Amino acid sequence: MKEFSIQSGEAVGVVAAESIGEPSTQMLLRVFHSAGISSAVVTTGLPRILEIIDARKNPKSPIMHINMAKGIEKNYEKVREVRKKIEEVKVSGLIKGFTENLKSGLMELELDREKMAQHEINARSVMSKIEAFGADTELEGDTIKIKIKKKENLKATRISFVNIRGLPVGGIPGIDKAIVEQAEDGAFFITTVGSNIKGVLDIEGVDKEKAYSNNIVEIMNMYGVEAARNTIARELYSTITAEGFTTNFRHLSLIADAMCFYGAVKGVGRHGIAGLKESVFARAAFEETVKHFVNAAIFSERDNLRGVAENILIGKQVPVGTGFVKLAVKKDDLKKIKSKDKANK
Amino acid sequence: MQAESIDGIKFMVVSPAEIKRISVAKLIIPDTYNEDGYPIDGGVIDQRLGVVDPGFRCKTCGGSAKTCPGHFGHIELIRPVVHPEFAKAVYLILQSTCDKCHRLLVSDEQMEKMRSEIAAEFEEGEQNSRGQTQKKIKTANKCPHCGAKQRKLKFERPTMFYLDQDRIKPDELTDWLSKIPDEDVRLLGMDPKSFRPEWLVLTNLLVPPVNVRPSITLETGERSEDDLTHKLVEIMRINKKLEQDIDAGTPQIIIDDLWELLQYHVTTYFNNETPGVPVARHRTSRPLKTLAQRLKGKEGRLRYNLSGKRVNFSARTVIVADGSLNVDQVGVPRKIAEVLTIPAYVTQWNIDSMKALLSRAEYPMVLNVITKEGIRKRVTDVNRQELLGELAPGYIMDRQLQDNDIVLFNRQPTLHRVSIMAHRVKVLPGRVLRLHVAATNPYNADFDGDDMNLHVPQSLEAQAEAKVLMAPSKQILSPRDGTPLMAMEEDELVGLYYLTGEDIYFNKEDTASILSASQIFEMPDAGKNGMYSGKSIFSMLLPKDFNLEVKSPEGLVVIKSGDLVKGIISSDLIGTFKNSMLLVKIYKDYGPDFATDFLLKISKMSLAVAYLLGFTISLGDYHNPESVNKEKEKIISDAKAKVREMIKNYKSNKLEALPGNTKRETLEVLVGVALRETRSIASKMLQKTLTDKNHVNLMAKIGARGNILNFVQTTLFLGQQDVRGKRPSRGYSGRVLPLFKKGSNDPAAHGFVTSSFIEGMKLPEYYMHGMGSRDSAVSKQLVVPTSGYMYRRVLNAMQDFYVDTNLRVRDASGALIQTIYGGDGKDTMDELLEKA
Repeated sequence: MKEFSIQSGEAVGVVAAESIGEPSTQMLLRVFHSAGISSAVVTTGLPRILEIIDARKNPKSPIMHINMAKGIEKNYEKVREVRKKIEEVKVSGLIKGFTENLKSGLMELELDREKMAQHEINARSVMSKIEAFGADTELEGDTIKIKIKKKENLKATRISFVNIRGLPVGGIPGIDKAIVEQAEDGAFFITTVGSNIKGVLDIEGVDKEKAYSNNIVEIMNMYGVEAARNTIARELYSTITAEGFTTNFRHLSLIADAMCFYGAVKGVGRHGIAGLKESVFARAAFEETVKHFVNAAIFSERDNLRGVAENILIGKQVPVGTGFVKLAVKKDDLKKIKSKDKANK
Repeated sequence: MQAESIDGIKFMVVSPAEIKRISVAKLIIPDTYNEDGYPIDGGVIDQRLGVVDPGFRCKTCGGSAKTCPGHFGHIELIRPVVHPEFAKAVYLILQSTCDKCHRLLVSDEQMEKMRSEIAAEFEEGEQNSRGQTQKKIKTANKCPHCGAKQRKLKFERPTMFYLDQDRIKPDELTDWLSKIPDEDVRLLGMDPKSFRPEWLVLTNLLVPPVNVRPSITLETGERSEDDLTHKLVEIMRINKKLEQDIDAGTPQIIIDDLWELLQYHVTTYFNNETPGVPVARHRTSRPLKTLAQRLKGKEGRLRYNLSGKRVNFSARTVIVADGSLNVDQVGVPRKIAEVLTIPAYVTQWNIDSMKALLSRAEYPMVLNVITKEGIRKRVTDVNRQELLGELAPGYIMDRQLQDNDIVLFNRQPTLHRVSIMAHRVKVLPGRVLRLHVAATNPYNADFDGDDMNLHVPQSLEAQAEAKVLMAPSKQILSPRDGTPLMAMEEDELVGLYYLTGEDIYFNKEDTASILSASQIFEMPDAGKNGMYSGKSIFSMLLPKDFNLEVKSPEGLVVIKSGDLVKGIISSDLIGTFKNSMLLVKIYKDYGPDFATDFLLKISKMSLAVAYLLGFTISLGDYHNPESVNKEKEKIISDAKAKVREMIKNYKSNKLEALPGNTKRETLEVLVGVALRETRSIASKMLQKTLTDKNHVNLMAKIGARGNILNFVQTTLFLGQQDVRGKRPSRGYSGRVLPLFKKGSNDPAAHGFVTSSFIEGMKLPEYYMHGMGSRDSAVSKQLVVPTSGYMYRRVLNAMQDFYVDTNLRVRDASGALIQTIYGGDGKDTMDELLEKA
């Protein structure tokens, strides 16, 4: 049986780049899939790949996949209770309606008892949240009367009212929706729209070892670069596969490793790895030409011409692939050795 | 051979003294030519700076326009000006230093600490700043050295500096910066040997040689100067005016104005896109292209001229398919073969055949002879005999391209490595390049007018490398996912389906003709009543020791000792972008060359079958029986009923909202799902009712062409049309088109099309379909530039990565990216081959 291994000098970076660059030019062109039933909308295709590759801090659709702790994963009622604790509740989600008087700075919120009971929130806690915002509150039956403390103009009052209605009163901040779904083996799990790993881990009933988020930067801050690296590779893989393309995982893992090389997730663009290369020429040929030359001059930088771009630039053979091989003995040295040998004989 | 090689390039700031040292001429006259049309001495195109017109001699080196490399000159600026690109650096240095004693605003103890930090950094080896950016050093309000309270420093883009309200003029800047001691400069992270802060303020301006900014003579005989020359003339004019005014004792205000104007011209000379500075324009109001613009961007020096290499020995024309070629061949028109040459080395062993070649006066002939001394002589009818006599080992001849020469073949966009492959030349008549259809896939080429490029590698090393690494046979499996890039497609799959199907028999004559198509001249064992089964014919292609057992959607496929026992060979076994286990296993067991040959033989054989049996589609295939049409009506009315039901529930508030959605959103989601799934319901229904007799269905089933969804849309209904991934909902108030009722809930009012392509659409449906098409056309246009830019960024970030001798991945600086490539040190193909 033949021993299989990659050849030394192989330009694996280029192959990896081609492996996502080539399919991405065809992406979205093949859009013909019917939308799924799941109510959690995920960014897919090229836009998602761009998000990952740029290491965006705020992806368009952060999503979490939360498994339940052992023992309750098949109990729908219990899982639903966990869901309630996770989904963020705002004041506006607890009211039937409201009236506002901008002139006098008064607003009345009509509480929805049913919803309050559902989220296990009482009027007191709602009122304390509103008071903390800077308004006086008064409870009258099912109605909370609110008066803005500060005398403001109409526009500012209106904004304050909208802000009050948007105040979070329960659940985990940043989680807009939480949906209970069932896996094939009957276990329930929760998919969320919005991501907050830290918050979710504090909830009882959550499998703390299997909480997953697709927000790479958040993963890095929470679990470190290694976890971020795995997430990058995994997310790239799943987005490419979802578009109907296949790519070997090694290419994506190389991209992920490159992005995490500096100990923190860096994008691939001019502010990321492409802008942090050793060579002045390679950076200048990529983007921000003048900036790189100017800085190089100030700091007396030296370009050692060890990369691909700079060698193409000056017209030398590129140091990867077959250009990776070098002579161990220089031609001149060889002559010396030969003459020495002769002399010895 | 590289005679000399560059090991590295160091960047520095040019000092005023260095400028004077480099300079061959001090330029004083702000003009170009005199009345006689000769360059003025001391003008911007002083002949000491080199010459561009033929017939003139450089006054520095005596060379002509061709031999003189050009020489720098300089302008002495009467008043210093700030170099605009360095202004930010100046600001940061000013911020970090005392405005009185000009020491670093850092206490002695801190200095000591910084010094040791920097020393440690240097000790780690060669200092490498890796795109270091300047940082302001944390500064005190009071200078720790002289105790002076610091005044507020202000920087006004692009080149103005203020202390409180007082402007710091550039000469004061020079003064300040030059008083910063060397050791403090070092603490700022700079090397005082090659950088002094005061050099950032210009006192001398380096003037590039004239061949950097050649003037062109228009047809009218009028001279047109380069943008840089224009700018230099203006700088010198203001400089001179300033000098005269100062000498004449003109009021300070006027001098300051002129000074500022000088600063403006110098700023735009370096970068005409400096933010906050009005753009300098040519007489024709076109913005001037100055130094920064020359370097920058796609059309700039770096990307266009330095990275963008141009080549000789190349050709380009339209491509056309040629089934008689081999996959690794390329058909080259005679006309191209006559022009492209390849060096032939004369040795003592081949001298006779080389002489024979040189003596020829038509097509495969020699165009040039290069003597041992390296003198190139063009072969003509006149000197041919003379050269023949002269020819000796060590000579090199440029001979015309011949059959079986190795050339590189490429189609743009060159998105992946298989977009350039090495083919063997086959010289053919005609005016087009030809290639085998199987090679079409990696290039993503078709024959509707595509052009392709041909390159002839000249050195033997290059030819060998191309042959060994870039041959199509070595590229059958994609480096991306290991699936075949070159395999059976379309008609070939149809042929294979008929050949390897169950209970298919051919008579002796047909069997013989099928087999001879793939160069097999033996007969398989005859089956019952002298007929030959298709499977046994196919098995003739397989090596006798070949075994395979794979599951495909068409059932189990079993090959035992080179005999296809069971199953149909479909696209899943030997198609492109599929797992294609048959091909992969052959590749693994018998190598790339055998696999290519195998592909070619299968191709010929399957096409022979397809030609023999014939295969066509007709309008009749698109005619559905009444039962199917009834099914269609049922699917549509079911969906519509479902939607009505949902709307009813919604209106009576019985619809339960999906978590996190409002009821209105929930309704939209559910209705969308119900309407969109009609298409897949219909295709499932069709797959059940249609037989192999329907050739359109057959093609879709075996993966030859089209899919079942196409069939649904042509014969049944188009289904839901989407705009931005949603049902159309905008247009007129409360409706998409004015012919619908306001707020209509009818699926048709939101883009549900119930007609098929065959029937033709009703007008509102046509409109909806148009909206959907437009939407996808627009999004397609956006994909190409965005994905192109993404690709460029990823490639730029990773192009230096290579595998070292220990299977580790490193970048250009030797930094470790992966400890073992891909976690196992294997490449994609190997991983898949191992599994096979």
